[in-house]
Amino acid sequence: MYGWTGNILRVNLTTKTYKKEAYSEEFAQTWVGGRGFAAKILYDELKAGTDPLGPDNKFIVALGPIAGIPAPNTGKAVVAAKSPLTGFYGDGNLGTRVSEHLRKAGYDALIVEGKADRPTMLYIEDDKVEFLPADAVWGQGTYATNDWIYAKYGKGVGVLNIGQGGENLIRYAVVRSLEGRAGGRPGMGAVMGSKLLKAIVVKGSRPIPQADPANMKALGQGDLKKVGRIDKETGWSIQSTTGVLSFCNEVAGLPVRNFRKTHHPDAWKIDGERLNNARIATYGCPNCTMRCGITIHDKEGRESELDYENIGLLGANLEIFDLPQVGSLNYLCDEYGLDTMSAGCVLGFYADAIDHGATSGDFKFGDAERAKELLRMAAHREGKVGNLLADGSLRMAREFGHGSEAYAMQVKGLDVAAYNCKFIPGQALAFGVAAIGAHHREAWIITFEIKHTTRESYGPEKAAKVIELQRIRGGMFEFLVACRFPWIELGWSLDNYPKYFKASTGLDWTLDDMWTRADRIYGLIKLHFLREFPDTTRKADYPPAVWFDPANADTEGPIAGKVLDAEKYDGLLQHYYDQRGYDRRGIPTKATLDKLGLGREAAAVEKYARLY
Amino acid sequence: MKIQVKMIGPLMYEAGFSEKEIEVPAATTADSLLDLIKVSRQRPKIVTRNGRAVAPDERLAEGDRIAISPIYSGG
Repeated sequence: MYGWTGNILRVNLTTKTYKKEAYSEEFAQTWVGGRGFAAKILYDELKAGTDPLGPDNKFIVALGPIAGIPAPNTGKAVVAAKSPLTGFYGDGNLGTRVSEHLRKAGYDALIVEGKADRPTMLYIEDDKVEFLPADAVWGQGTYATNDWIYAKYGKGVGVLNIGQGGENLIRYAVVRSLEGRAGGRPGMGAVMGSKLLKAIVVKGSRPIPQADPANMKALGQGDLKKVGRIDKETGWSIQSTTGVLSFCNEVAGLPVRNFRKTHHPDAWKIDGERLNNARIATYGCPNCTMRCGITIHDKEGRESELDYENIGLLGANLEIFDLPQVGSLNYLCDEYGLDTMSAGCVLGFYADAIDHGATSGDFKFGDAERAKELLRMAAHREGKVGNLLADGSLRMAREFGHGSEAYAMQVKGLDVAAYNCKFIPGQALAFGVAAIGAHHREAWIITFEIKHTTRESYGPEKAAKVIELQRIRGGMFEFLVACRFPWIELGWSLDNYPKYFKASTGLDWTLDDMWTRADRIYGLIKLHFLREFPDTTRKADYPPAVWFDPANADTEGPIAGKVLDAEKYDGLLQHYYDQRGYDRRGIPTKATLDKLGLGREAAAVEKYARLY
Repeated sequence: MKIQVKMIGPLMYEAGFSEKEIEVPAATTADSLLDLIKVSRQRPKIVTRNGRAVAPDERLAEGDRIAISPIYSGG
């Protein structure tokens, strides 16, 4: 077997033991890697009802057959576990040198089980695994923790760590790496924290097995240069993702005031142009030649690295149109190890709930100083308010009552990314049916909706586009594992990826072969969901109710008077189910599961729920 | 007639401006506007008029706000 190392490292923090486990070629070809490996392992090894923050949950780091090998943009890893935010499978990806080092140590995945008896740092160097005390940095933020690790091992090692957010079990705490990178929005950092696992450090020294190393090197390194050249020619990374803010503001798709408004006259103050003008540095992931981390000085003079989601949700959504202040909120999230997107939604929801009388409090939209204080309180679960904010917007809404769940901006418990779909039906569907909750990384169809269809349409073409993008983005890029940015942003052809895959594994797969695996993984994540929520209905795939509320319609601008139509949305959802071969609850039918090669997994779920 | 043009992301560096009011002939369409602005025709882009998609042959009107953006895949 080439491309895959064929091994998984299983570590138990309770017993301080570890073992190297070989997996079969059939497993490799069925699940490929990354999200596929993680979803399969967690499906087989967790029972329904497992406490996400208990010792029986498992924390997974998973890589794919091109991960860590120099090629466009392969310096990423998938982190996964049962989510304390959503209650079922959760994952995320982040740029990290762990990608290269874990593969060079001889593993394609790491499974962490149990719970340590004291704050622990896991150190992996080829065949060696050490369980080292991390008391010195327990209670410290991610920057200090990273510095502590670098002082011990140098800057070249692979690092994953958590901040106070993960330690204090904030349900949207993330895993951090390389100072500026973060991943695992549905609380993957809290799962590490629940195991008293402060950090993972990896150093590998062996070659990654490849079918055609010479071709892989020529192709991968040559294409990295080409991607870098296209980036320079097109100027994409001058503003990177942050140009999206102006686009969303123009087309009434920006989250403003907890998504109540869709555009704002002051949005320009925090846009990509201003961000580029304020830039002091640029950071990026390993194996990347189109680095997107625009870094500025925040209000307190610290370095803060921002992307669109950060300025959208910590800026516009909170009506904070002051770039250094947005930088400060972003810095605090990064320091505490909190998901910036959920944090922006949680604070926005809190201000909105106070505005609407669902709760009392002293936080108002636009109050950056109080927002900083609230982030600190959330990260430390300080007092009643800190504890409320730490549990995420859905749990807050259930606590507040008064109909506030309608404007808790989440799907399945995961907060909505920075796209206001008040009148963008296809993207609302993309959020509704995203595998792990309202994440944008699986399907983003706003340009398609506006340019190639009409915004008013709820037709099958939009469901088809969501599926097409789920296969590419939530599927292939998540199991190979690589970043999607060269593809749309620079026009880098998808046809390149089967070439990298072949040079690495020797297997001649077409893109259709990739989609087969992607569909299987989506089907399996649905079974994860069904196992935990056997009484689920199609309402679980609905976006926040406020997007259907005529009283919430814009009073001026491009979509004045318009909101999503509930009946038509349901029809669009049905198009999606029909095209996917899912039943009326949004669960794959038995026939579909058979077709996807999920017969055994289907039999396992029937202990908990019915299949049709 | 006068229209307001907003260039988004890297297109503003290519065109040499971020946002400005420009005087265009009365028969200007969304497509012919691209000839009046220094921006590559080869590059995939999306043009909106007052926040909604615009067909290439659609005639622009006095006071329109036109945004020209590259294609993004989200943030």
